[in-house]
Amino acid sequence: MSQSTKLKSFFVETGAISKFTGWFFHEFLRPRFEAREFLRQCYIVGYKSLPLVGLTGFIMGLVLTMQLRPTLVNYGVEARLPDMVSLSLIREIGPVITALIFAGKIGSSIGAELGSMRVTEQIDAMEVSGTNPYKYLVVTRVWATTLMLPILTILSDTIGLYGGYLGINIRGVMSMDLYVNEVLHTVGFSDLLPATIKTFFFGFAVGLVGCYKGYNSKKGTEGVGLSANSAVVLSSILIFIIDLVVVQITDLLGFN
Amino acid sequence: MDASQNTIISAKDTDNEPVLAVRGLKKAFGANVVLNDFDLTVNKNESVVVLGRSGSGKSVLIKCIIGLLEPDAGSVSVLGQDVLSLDHEGLDHIRMRIGFLFQSNALYDSMTVRENLEFPMRRHLKHMSAADAEQRIKEVLSNVGLGHTIDMMPAELSGGMQKRIALARTLVLKPEIILYDEPTSGLDPITGREISTLMVEVEKKYHTASIIISHDMRCVKITADRIVVLIDGRAYATGTYEELKRSTDEKVKQFFE
Amino acid sequence: MAKQIINNIKLGIFVIAGLIILVTSLYMIGRNQSYFGNNITVRARFTNVMGLTKGNNVRFSGIQAGNVKSVHIVNDSVIEVAMLVEREFQPYIHKNAIVSIGNEGLMGNKVINISTNPIPAPAVENDDLLPVKKEVGTNEMLETLSTTNDNVAVISQDLKQTIKRLNNSAALWNLLNDTSISYNLKISLLNIRSAAVKVNQVATGLNTIVVDAHNGKGTVGTLLADTAVATDLKQAVNHINGASAEADAVIARLDSLIGGIQKDVNNGSGTVYTLLKDTATTNKLTNSLDNIEKGTAAFNEDMEALKHNFLTRRYFRKQEKAKKEAGK
Repeated sequence: MSQSTKLKSFFVETGAISKFTGWFFHEFLRPRFEAREFLRQCYIVGYKSLPLVGLTGFIMGLVLTMQLRPTLVNYGVEARLPDMVSLSLIREIGPVITALIFAGKIGSSIGAELGSMRVTEQIDAMEVSGTNPYKYLVVTRVWATTLMLPILTILSDTIGLYGGYLGINIRGVMSMDLYVNEVLHTVGFSDLLPATIKTFFFGFAVGLVGCYKGYNSKKGTEGVGLSANSAVVLSSILIFIIDLVVVQITDLLGFN
Repeated sequence: MDASQNTIISAKDTDNEPVLAVRGLKKAFGANVVLNDFDLTVNKNESVVVLGRSGSGKSVLIKCIIGLLEPDAGSVSVLGQDVLSLDHEGLDHIRMRIGFLFQSNALYDSMTVRENLEFPMRRHLKHMSAADAEQRIKEVLSNVGLGHTIDMMPAELSGGMQKRIALARTLVLKPEIILYDEPTSGLDPITGREISTLMVEVEKKYHTASIIISHDMRCVKITADRIVVLIDGRAYATGTYEELKRSTDEKVKQFFE
Repeated sequence: MAKQIINNIKLGIFVIAGLIILVTSLYMIGRNQSYFGNNITVRARFTNVMGLTKGNNVRFSGIQAGNVKSVHIVNDSVIEVAMLVEREFQPYIHKNAIVSIGNEGLMGNKVINISTNPIPAPAVENDDLLPVKKEVGTNEMLETLSTTNDNVAVISQDLKQTIKRLNNSAALWNLLNDTSISYNLKISLLNIRSAAVKVNQVATGLNTIVVDAHNGKGTVGTLLADTAVATDLKQAVNHINGASAEADAVIARLDSLIGGIQKDVNNGSGTVYTLLKDTATTNKLTNSLDNIEKGTAAFNEDMEALKHNFLTRRYFRKQEKAKKEAGK
């Protein structure tokens, strides 16, 4: 593929995704609301992802603490360990790692699910059955990912902070009370709120990209695999881009 | 499906009342013109087979009829309404009266057989009571001979059974026209014949007209009242099975060899 | 259907758990940062807030009491800091409590310390302006340390020169080394003292004789009854009187001489003082000078180490640069 064709296809893709996003905003507030499907998706996307997200969150908290410890001990500021762990977890690592895991699990499954529905004409069948498949499949899933990822992130942060507490107590001693106090003392609204707000965007990106890739899947089983794969890749990249944009905005607004 | 399995119904009581008319339909994908000035009329209770080679645009035709694809030119009139000029709501309304059997069955694989059959009913027949719906589902399932599969998942069923469930799903809304997209593709000859016979049976039972897209001559022979041969995007030849079999045209003869 | 309901219940628990954690943590953080609840505002004016910002902690006698609400400039030399302080601290903070800006640890955040003033005053009220104390910052501390170092360097230089001069002065060393001089002086002083005592004794004896004679007692009395003898005797006594007066004058002069020496010794001045001191003193003096020299060397080393310490490196580099520029 020549350079110009690649460039062209990049812009075509960008345009198509924008249009798809526009479609979402066109549809998402109009009846009919597929409440049952939305709840089902929330259950799958949110509740079913909790064990995975919780595990990674716990490990991140534990590992981060153990990795930071030697440096802090060198500088003689071991007591600042809860501050460092909580800030890095809540501001950056929690949201981003959770979103990436989420993209890997949910983005790919949405991409594959809608892809195979497209390939086996289930989406057409839905349309024929008097259902707007965009509303039934896309709007519900994008809403579910947008609303569930923040909750997953909060739970993951909490579990991660508990991991951090255990990490401190592997080598040193710190009471739970002191740890919680230190964490609450360190973390401010300006840390928690932007971090929570950006997870909505992460969730939106994961859901939308997964749906876009699946909805526009090419024929054949290869197309389904490709949809799942590119959904994960693209949503992971978008997560970082959104992260970059959010950090700039919060910086501009003076929350940093 | 037991009694009339081997009965070949060559001609039904077809009134000359058209339920579906396609005029001058054109559809091209880029440079690939698949339909070019295609005309087709289907009368009440008539089964028309559109015969054509793979990739000749047969599926495109019925997708244009049901509004899944938009033709470049031409008109599609179904049950007296112009499909192309309908808004979303009108389209939904007309779709309720048209059954569509997809080539790949398109059963929702995250739902049980019951939910698959419920799905179009929930959408189209919103005021139907749960008991009536249940009753309708059981009736339709027994008509396709698969009453026992009601709580199974589509993945647990064989290809032939899936096809029957898909047919049952098109039947729950009691359509007036059924569009079949390659109903016997991917099935072994015996199952293919079973499905073909079942199609004839249910059409009789539900008084439906149908368009059958196929290139499987066994199926065509069983199901067709009339055959339209689609070549180069046009209705190249038309006639009954027997008439076309006697045709001397090279292109038509190919299908019957 | 039943499964769907169970799933929805699980989903509900999941969502509510997340929301509760979010709301609770927001509330706890808010309470920690005194966004809600019962607070009073107190103000203080500084000329330099040294990087204090909104949200920094406020401590009362070391207890977390609130945080900084705002920092704003009143005019070119006055910066007003408003602090939110929990109301429960209000009765303990008096109107004359002293506000200062300090550090949380050596490199930590700035913190406001409110410390009590021993002079009694009424409790603080909302929007009161509290007096401030200038807190020594690390920078100033380092600057003072540098000046001290310079001074020590000058002193040790002077001391070195003095010692060199002392070492090179042969006359002084001879004087200090010749112990016989001081010994002789001591002996002569002792002799003068004993001579003076003897003269005194003679004078006392003569006085007794004269008194007895006056009363006609003893042989001298008998002899004095005779007027001729008495006249002679009177003359003799007069002579004796003159001699004793002379002796008195000698003694007085000696006394003043000794007193002068004593004074010199006590005040630590005059050559005698130096001479009287023995060689051990000079040794001690040399030793202590050595010690000072060692001490300054160690101090120099410390300063050198401080220069290379990462914390202060930049400061010293700046100093050096400035010095170089000044040299140019």
